[in-house]
Amino acid sequence: MAIDQETADQIVDTVARWVDAEVAPNASAFELEDAYPDDMVAQMAEFGLFGATIPEQYGGLGLDVSTYARIIEELSRGFMSLAGVVNSHLIAANLITRFGTEEQRVQWLPQLATAERRGCFSLSEPDSGSDAAALRCKAQRDGDEWVINGTKMWVTNGERAGLVALLARAEEGITCFIVDKVPGKTSGGITVSKNIRKLGYRSLETVEMTYVDHRLPADRVLGGPEGVGKGFQWCLQALELGRVNVAARGVGVARAALDAALDYAAKRETFGKPIGQHQGIQFKLAEMATKVEAARLLTREAAAKVDRGERADMAAGMAKLFASETAAEVALDAMRIHGGNGFTTEYPVERYYRDAPLMIIGEGTSEIQKMVIGRALMRGDRP
Amino acid sequence: MRIAVCVKRVPAPGARINVTADGRAVDAAHLGFTTSPHEECAVEEAVRLVEAHGGSVTVLTVGPPAAEEQLRYAASVGATDLVLVPVADDGAAWDPQRTAAVLAEALVGLEAGGGTPFDLILFGNESADSGGFQVGVRTARALGRPIVNGIKAIEVSADGGSLVAQRGVDDGLEAYELPLPAVLGVKEGINLPRYPTMKGRLASKKVALATMALDARAGGQRSVRLHRPEEEASTTEILGHGPEAAAAVVDLLSELGLLSEAGQ
Repeated sequence: MAIDQETADQIVDTVARWVDAEVAPNASAFELEDAYPDDMVAQMAEFGLFGATIPEQYGGLGLDVSTYARIIEELSRGFMSLAGVVNSHLIAANLITRFGTEEQRVQWLPQLATAERRGCFSLSEPDSGSDAAALRCKAQRDGDEWVINGTKMWVTNGERAGLVALLARAEEGITCFIVDKVPGKTSGGITVSKNIRKLGYRSLETVEMTYVDHRLPADRVLGGPEGVGKGFQWCLQALELGRVNVAARGVGVARAALDAALDYAAKRETFGKPIGQHQGIQFKLAEMATKVEAARLLTREAAAKVDRGERADMAAGMAKLFASETAAEVALDAMRIHGGNGFTTEYPVERYYRDAPLMIIGEGTSEIQKMVIGRALMRGDRP
Repeated sequence: MRIAVCVKRVPAPGARINVTADGRAVDAAHLGFTTSPHEECAVEEAVRLVEAHGGSVTVLTVGPPAAEEQLRYAASVGATDLVLVPVADDGAAWDPQRTAAVLAEALVGLEAGGGTPFDLILFGNESADSGGFQVGVRTARALGRPIVNGIKAIEVSADGGSLVAQRGVDDGLEAYELPLPAVLGVKEGINLPRYPTMKGRLASKKVALATMALDARAGGQRSVRLHRPEEEASTTEILGHGPEAAAAVVDLLSELGLLSEAGQ
């Protein structure tokens, strides 16, 4: 649904006010302890963010991707990990919305929209990341059931999820399964590893999940019987939403770093005046602000393309590439402006600096984005 | 319960308020607007009372057409009926007496239209801009209903015929029992207003907004000139970090005479 600009502004403003009041002041405390922000996630569910892009007829808000991207930017400005909590959930919901049967939409989407059932997306494996087509997780037919065996890596929200959009290899090709599970460490033949410790992007679980003879009814194939073998192409399309999400996260983190640098440059004095009055710092701030604005515009354009139903792989790739690299560059520049203080946990810039690499790597590395953009250019697409 | 809440569109608190060159009005060119904070709490309290006891929440404002934004916000957090009494922007002529008279007439009209009186009418203790503390009291008087200001807690009786309202005073709490219908002026802190949900935001667009064309004579209060006080300069001195700061803090408290004899 395309909502009017005023409503979109109000929705984004509500999230921004909440981020300012409740999230930003507390984010570092949670992140440094790697503690799950239960109250923040509960408020996000209360807002309805777990149903942000799920169509209204299935209980969601039906927001367009442009508004969704702005919400993600705001969340990430306060605490980037929160954007991860909704991202893999909504990629799973996006797959069901776009490629599921009507029965599957009716069965699963309303529960996902309210966060009664949390979702996650599971593609990567220990030996299959960017080369996703090399995945080994196996799905075998056994009468009316499917039997899943394999190991999946980097599953965001894997433990708390009650639904996994799982990519596994069937005889006919890579297939997407809707795996319902009991949240927790084990469910049927599924075992969830402990939370993987990370440089940044903490406070939400990133896990390894092992499937040993996990059985699924036949109706768990996304898209019904015709969906067997189509999982990979569908997943690539659903990842467009994920890449817009990560681009928006990059904009949010970069913006937070820029804001922190501006604030610090106005207060910190050297040689008798605020450092923001020194041309050396001003030039750096000018470059940072220009990059942030460029990243935002690329992200908005990619989101608008998705909303218009246009092919958006190149636009999403450009946005993701530029915004994630911008987040890393601007976070480091913000740290330089903070001097020694930026290297301490007393200031949030060290968190931005640690969070930024996730966006360079996750949802397709910068190199993968360049491949996507390059291939699109060679087939004749132009920005 | 049938509850009415009267709200006012005011410049967002915390913003730098500039005065127009002629000193007669607030320069709204770069200002954001919001619902007066005490009144935001009043809306929240009304919604909570209706969630507990059933009923409806009517939110009304006397203000410019742009005040629809504040009414829609109230709808997004649970208000069921919205009423705007539009006013032309003729500045100081809208004194508390004129506003209260218009509100009283609007409330009487809404009660006649709804068939029953409002059990409770809530105001903010005072508006965040002019801070006159006048409109609620004058409206209650015009309606012939009891009013207590400064309220920080409301409890409605089981039979719905009365309520107990509390307010803080220097040495404790005062509790007032009021028969319904009644009027209360509530203070920020009575609750923590909820954030609107996204669905609430979307649904608020569909809530019908009634407009009432009303006017009344002003009471004679006249604004002469607005003046923005000079900002007070303040400095912050960091006395130290962690336990090392304790001695310096004690010295300072002692210097300020804040330590008792027994404590020293």
